[in-house]
Amino acid sequence: MLCSSDDNPSRQSGLASGCCKGVTVTADESSPLSALATDGKQAMSLLDVVELRKSYDGHVAVDGLSFSVAAGEIFGLLGPNGAGKSTTMMMLAGLRAADSGSVTIDGHSFDSGARELKQILGVVPQDLAIYPDLTARENLEFFGKLYGIRGKTLAERVDRILGQIGLTQNANSYGKTFSGGMKRRLNFGVALLHQPKLVILDEPTVGVDPQSRSHLLDCVRELSMAGVGVIYASHYMEEVEALCQRVAIIDKGKLLTIGTLDELLSKTRADLHLRVAGSKPRLGPRLVGLADVDPLSEGEVLVVMHRNRRDSTFAINDRLTLVLEILKQAGAELLSIETREHNLEQLFLELTGRRLRD
Amino acid sequence: MNASQITRKDLLLLYRDRRTLSVLVALPLAFISILGFSTGQLFNQGMKARTYNVALVDAADSLLSEKIVAKLRDMKALDITNFSDLSAAKKALAEDKMHVLLYIGPTYDERVGELALWDLFHLDEGRLKDGLASLDIQVESGSFLANASELVRALVFSFAVQTIPQSVLDKYPKIKLSMARAASESRKSLEDHLEERQPSLPVDGGPAHATTNIVYQVLVPSYTVMFVFFIVNFMARSFIGERDMGTLSRLRMAPVTRTGLMIGKTVPFLVISLVQTAILFLAGKLLFGMSWGPEAWLILPVMICTSMAATSMGLMVATLVRTEAQVSAYGNFLVLTMAGISGCMMPRTWQPELMQQVGLITPHAWALIAYDQILTRETPEFSVVWKCCGYLLAFTAGFFAVSWARAGELD
Repeated sequence: MLCSSDDNPSRQSGLASGCCKGVTVTADESSPLSALATDGKQAMSLLDVVELRKSYDGHVAVDGLSFSVAAGEIFGLLGPNGAGKSTTMMMLAGLRAADSGSVTIDGHSFDSGARELKQILGVVPQDLAIYPDLTARENLEFFGKLYGIRGKTLAERVDRILGQIGLTQNANSYGKTFSGGMKRRLNFGVALLHQPKLVILDEPTVGVDPQSRSHLLDCVRELSMAGVGVIYASHYMEEVEALCQRVAIIDKGKLLTIGTLDELLSKTRADLHLRVAGSKPRLGPRLVGLADVDPLSEGEVLVVMHRNRRDSTFAINDRLTLVLEILKQAGAELLSIETREHNLEQLFLELTGRRLRD
Repeated sequence: MNASQITRKDLLLLYRDRRTLSVLVALPLAFISILGFSTGQLFNQGMKARTYNVALVDAADSLLSEKIVAKLRDMKALDITNFSDLSAAKKALAEDKMHVLLYIGPTYDERVGELALWDLFHLDEGRLKDGLASLDIQVESGSFLANASELVRALVFSFAVQTIPQSVLDKYPKIKLSMARAASESRKSLEDHLEERQPSLPVDGGPAHATTNIVYQVLVPSYTVMFVFFIVNFMARSFIGERDMGTLSRLRMAPVTRTGLMIGKTVPFLVISLVQTAILFLAGKLLFGMSWGPEAWLILPVMICTSMAATSMGLMVATLVRTEAQVSAYGNFLVLTMAGISGCMMPRTWQPELMQQVGLITPHAWALIAYDQILTRETPEFSVVWKCCGYLLAFTAGFFAVSWARAGELD
């Protein structure tokens, strides 16, 4: 199937799943996402990272990190600044040697000097890595040649990638004349030219306009559909929620949690907020163990009933019934009820804390 | 080979960066031209240049004194100006219009007349033991050229001793006659001998570079070597540029070996360095009249070895520095210091012995020694040139080894 951004209705919804212009997905190449097991263990593991460690000058940057990525999976790697994401990705890209641990890519033990393994990897670094004094085409051709692509094949792939990243019209313009979004797209395209099996994306959408961002995310989805494994590091939680099947949150080099989005979000709370006419001294003691009471304004309080997503419906119903009974007995008038569901960002903040990072 | 792709890319980028290219060639050319102007040697002005202006006061005004003056006038290194009185000549000397003052006193002929044959063969003991003063001749020079008077004094004394014997021998007719016969025979014998041994001896013999501009023989290679090593800065900046653009990481993630990356990044600058050197030598020949020496082809290996040493040093610096500021600080310091130590800024022969030895720790010095052999010697010593090339290649290997070890930390 050959699809374009124009015939993809989901493009209008920004982060919704869509298709990237020019990407060809065949039945043989595609890797159905449904094949991914929900427990995080993949049937076709493309990347296996086991107990990876790295320290600099006594500072432990990565501390026993383990995870795996399957073919066709988009794996989110989250962490605050200094969590060890970049170090992890540099080790995976062969730019840094690990102190210990093992990395297996496509069944081969990772060796940064092995040319065939470099052919498997495509890396989109956070900082732009293109030559501003070369045209878009020249940039793609240069990096293509480094990966041993020549002649007609190179020309075809360059044309296809230019189409994918929406730069066909600007193929012969210098990189320095591009907008931030165009540069990001070219930066992305360079990593795809040699058709890697595993693509590492480090904050690929930083500083780009919504159109380019949406386009890039569509391209990532198409990569996944084509069976390419993707590691997606980002600070944009909504992107990760929209794209990734599984997510790992790391901090201080350690893995804090890992799982599918459903698994992770089920660990978060979905609180019930009851706005009540009353006072904290009157209601607080009666609701101990059932809910928290926070004063809102003169004569109003907020009764917060915490619940985990995994709590059974019966349990929350019983508690709610009990709370409402107590409120009735206390003569407090119920003004409104709201459900406050936590998202990935709140989970992230819960796990990594709210302390500012350098 | 991936290295060649990196080389092509860098050559393309350099081609598009015309300003850098022009600086690489124009700067040394401008520098050499300025120095040429400074020394009055540009466009073959040097054929008559660097002469000592001699103020001549011939108070003797005789046939005998005229013989000395005629010989002095034959010296291309001396520009003789006659002064009628001593005070005017001294004034010209004081005003630095003249470098040397030569005064032939009125009693010159009289002093010569007093000489005996014995005095001509016993210069240190006889009437000539006081040198020119014995003949009523004085030589003075300005303070800036103190040595000039010594040279002129030696010349004048030598010419005096050559021209005096005829007058002295007039006192000894028998000896004069027998000497004339002997001289005639020996001259004929010598001519026969020369005709037999060297029938094709050129009429105008002399040093191979006698008609070339010796200043540029030294200046062009010196400043060429110095500026060739300035490529260090450009190379280091190229690496820092790659690092800042993030493309260095991308190159390292590509299937390119460390050696391939280093070679690929070095070759473009090696090409530029060779072009730069070739242009400077061509300019030296066409604009400044320098000679490439009797074995001009020897310039090529020295040029290649020097450029290899320079670019590998550039590679080493590139792997050691982290920022543009460090390039400016360390790169310029290193290049200028090495140029100063090695003798690029002033001829090695002017340096004290110790400094010449210290200079050998730099590749520049070996390049200069090789160029000196090729450009200024009538017969270049091949073994010296090859030895210099060997040292330059050893520097190349050393710099490359350090770069290779450091290249793992390029990010």
